[in-house]
Amino acid sequence: MAKKRERLNVIKDILDAIQKNRQIKPTRLLYASNLSPQMFKDYINELISKKFIRLDIDDKEKKTFSLTKKGNDFLQEYKVIDNFIENFGL
Amino acid sequence: MVYEWIIANKELIKIFYALIIVFICAVIVLKTDRLFRLSSHKGIRYFRNAFFFFGIGFIIRYFFGVLPNYRFIITIIFEYFLIMAGFFLLYSLLWKKIEASGSDYYSSLFNAKIFIFYVMSFVIVLLDYLWGTYYLMFSSQIILFSLASIISYANYKKNGKRHKFLKFYFIAMMLSLVAWMLNALASLLLNWHQGILIVIYLLNIIIFLLFLFGVIKVTAK
Repeated sequence: MAKKRERLNVIKDILDAIQKNRQIKPTRLLYASNLSPQMFKDYINELISKKFIRLDIDDKEKKTFSLTKKGNDFLQEYKVIDNFIENFGL
Repeated sequence: MVYEWIIANKELIKIFYALIIVFICAVIVLKTDRLFRLSSHKGIRYFRNAFFFFGIGFIIRYFFGVLPNYRFIITIIFEYFLIMAGFFLLYSLLWKKIEASGSDYYSSLFNAKIFIFYVMSFVIVLLDYLWGTYYLMFSSQIILFSLASIISYANYKKNGKRHKFLKFYFIAMMLSLVAWMLNALASLLLNWHQGILIVIYLLNIIIFLLFLFGVIKVTAK
């Protein structure tokens, strides 16, 4: 059986998908994240509330997600955080 | 001769010892706090809290402990912070089995799950005070670090080849267990023998340095 993805890993995958595309539509991000719609909504709300990503809406009401500085910082530090968790058995 | 010099200067050495421990705790708290703020990872939070409580405990015991009128209350507070730190350290290894990783709390230091530690620490300190002993503190810490040693050994056996610090973590837990056993021995049977106390101080410095080494090495880019 495939191992359940850790919360931190899911966040990293979502942020990675946004970073690769610079701006990404919600539907494309949902596919890229490989989550159920409800789980996706929960993660997106958490990431917006923690200011990791922002939701941009243009004149034509088109929605896209983009990374904030904090989101970029997280991606840069992800390896360190992951290493820390594994090395200290946390 | 060295032993006599240490005994003659023990108050000064205690301050120096506390300075080293407090400095190490401050570095660990600052480094891990940055990682926690980015990740909101609960294991990192409990680990950071453990060293926060160790640091505060040592500040209170060795810097405010020199005030003659407050020695008694300061010893109690020191005991409380030390027990809490031990609980946090053990819980940082156990939390995944107890709570969900996604659930959020309003505060890093207070929530319903860890409230029980505050209560347990309070009860231990209170009963030790009423009985005029340190029995419960020593027993609780010996049990706690025995469990932490078992868990960290299991972590080392499982992932030790990929993550090198797990071996040092296990060593640190074993040394902590030995230090608490020596503490109990010194208190209960040897009337706080100075030689044993020196060994305990040295062990504690080695344990904290091991953690500092791990934190600096793992967080270095």
